[in-house]
Amino acid sequence: MIRFLIKGILGDKNRSVLPIIIITIGVSLTILLSGYLRGVMGDMIDQSARFDTGHVKIMSRSYAEDQVQMPNDLALLGVEAIKEQLASDYPDVQWADRIKFGGLIDVPDGKEGSKGQGPAAGLAFDLFSGVSGEDERLNISHSIVKGKLPSQPREALIGNDFADKLNIQMGDEITYMGTTMNGSMTFENFVVSGTIKFGIAAMDKGAIIIDISDARVLLDMHDAVGELLGFFEGGVYDDDKALAIAAEFNQKYAHDKDEYAPQMFALREQNSLGGYLDYVDYFAGLFVGIFVFAMSVVLWNTGLLGGLRRYQEFGIRLALGESRGHIYRTLIYEAIFIGFTGSVAGTIVGLSGTYYLQVYGIDVGDMMQESTMMVPSIMRAKMTPDLLYIGFVPGLFAMVFGNMLSGIGIYKRSTASLFKELEV
Amino acid sequence: MTTESIISIKDVTKRFPVGGGEFTALHKINLEFETGEFSGLIGPSGSGKTTLLNIMGSLDTPTEGQAIVMGKDISKLTHKQSALLRNMHLGFVFQVYNLLPVYTVFENVEFSLLLQNWSAAERKKMVMESLEWVGLQDIADKKPAKLSGGEGQRVAIARAMVKRPEIVLADEPTANLDAANAHTIIQTMKRLSHELKTTFIFSTHDEKVMGYLDRIISLEDGKVKKEQQVEAKFSLS
Ligand SMILES: Nc1ncnc2c1ncn2[C@@H]1O[C@H](COP(=O)(O)OP(=O)(O)O)[C@@H](O)[C@H]1O
Ligand SMILES: [Mg+2]
Repeated sequence: MIRFLIKGILGDKNRSVLPIIIITIGVSLTILLSGYLRGVMGDMIDQSARFDTGHVKIMSRSYAEDQVQMPNDLALLGVEAIKEQLASDYPDVQWADRIKFGGLIDVPDGKEGSKGQGPAAGLAFDLFSGVSGEDERLNISHSIVKGKLPSQPREALIGNDFADKLNIQMGDEITYMGTTMNGSMTFENFVVSGTIKFGIAAMDKGAIIIDISDARVLLDMHDAVGELLGFFEGGVYDDDKALAIAAEFNQKYAHDKDEYAPQMFALREQNSLGGYLDYVDYFAGLFVGIFVFAMSVVLWNTGLLGGLRRYQEFGIRLALGESRGHIYRTLIYEAIFIGFTGSVAGTIVGLSGTYYLQVYGIDVGDMMQESTMMVPSIMRAKMTPDLLYIGFVPGLFAMVFGNMLSGIGIYKRSTASLFKELEV
Repeated sequence: MTTESIISIKDVTKRFPVGGGEFTALHKINLEFETGEFSGLIGPSGSGKTTLLNIMGSLDTPTEGQAIVMGKDISKLTHKQSALLRNMHLGFVFQVYNLLPVYTVFENVEFSLLLQNWSAAERKKMVMESLEWVGLQDIADKKPAKLSGGEGQRVAIARAMVKRPEIVLADEPTANLDAANAHTIIQTMKRLSHELKTTFIFSTHDEKVMGYLDRIISLEDGKVKKEQQVEAKFSLS
């Protein structure tokens, strides 16, 4: 009987090809979009953690309120003492000093004048010690386009686009102009050791990267830091852990009224990332739900049409002594076979597509030119084990469910009227 | 002719709902059919022939009265029981032969055996034997689309006969055939009726068919107008 059914399905293209195509498309889109959504959100969060928020981040309360202004006059003081305490309280968390600073970069023309100027988006962190892990974390070495990492004081990396625009060569001098922590003017010349392109629109605009020790001198920030970022072991964000650590840390300073007292934030609590985290789950779920529903409706309809077309066949089978229940069950077996085939095909197509998008990604750098969000300019999908069933199960379910609905027609109609279809 | 009747129709009335009211297709029909009989329902189109055959074939039930087929009151059967009755004891031949297009001739004939528990070897033997009865053993592997009308209807007869049913119900089986094919087919059925003691009940308004019948039952407006035993005009050639 099974052989008979399979032959029927294969022999009747109308019965198999269309539903298989629908399922394949639905399943592969579900997988692809889920994988893409996860990948992009995951990358965004990861990127954000590395460059901006850490898994947890400590700032002074007033700095935190005004963070986007990079208000170094409100910087966190007594950093060494705080870090010592953190190291004993949370030995498995790595802490990284970061100073962000604004200002202006001037490129002298070697005579009296200037080749050009631009706003500086400065970032300073520990480059020289060699044990901070910041190079790997920020992927600096791989992001260098020309030249090399700064290796001695008063060397800087600058944004590649900026360097191209002003025709800056390796070894050229540039001048940074800005204000110190205490509000006085400061100038310093830096030798360009290399140029950099992160592929993050917000980072690449006017970037200047220097070692934290240079920044402390330049901005007069001894034993001070704008932001202290904490990273969990293995570089994987753990929401519950981050929230717990932050709550515990902040508890200690709860009675301190000082506006410069340190305050810790979990990743979720910064830049609305908590909302993103929740939205990823929410949208992934919603998405799959909508697809299952839409696929079910479409398959129900193709099932209905197929069923109508097959009333003659059902009539003959009834006359030959097959029971309605048996016919109904064979319809369900057919649906399982077709649903399975389509879901397997869809899963293969979907996973291949996801893999492609994981390796190559989609370059959205141009669209993101104006963005100040920490968004990777190449959006990649991410293969996760749940993609194996996230499309498969709904695909199979939709086909079987659709056919169960349409097959009810066999029960609703009387035997005689199914049989009537035989009269021409 | 009381206890032995293979089919007995008692005061059968069939009404169909139409629009707001009802249409009476059969009106208090009383008929008995004996084992091995070769009989036919004749009458103009719309007189109720198909409706009566459907009831005798347990594809439909009477509104009133009883239809006893092989000792079973078909009104009292569940869907499953009536399917079993059809599968084990009843064969159907339709005006259009209605073969399933994706299957070969062999598979079309084999289908009802798949519903019973025959082994593949037994099925093969039975299918080939019934194809021999209709003289089509050589085209077992053809698809229905490749058959002529006469061949198609002979396959339909093989399909009805393969399980050796006690009763075959044939609704206008020659209506779409030319004279030569009509004769061949009706002769085949008559021969099988003799050899296998199968009861055949036709519905027809084909004169050629009537010539082979032992008994003719005339229906008109859902009533039996006349019943006559006849000396078959054509004998087996
Ligand atoms: N399912 C049905 N619903 C309504 N009327 C029907 C139905 N089946 C048959 N009839 C009517 O019953 C009458 C007898 O039909 P039928 O038995 O098919 O006649 P015949 O086979 O002798 O041509 C016809 O008038 C037909 O329109
Ligand atoms: Mg009719």
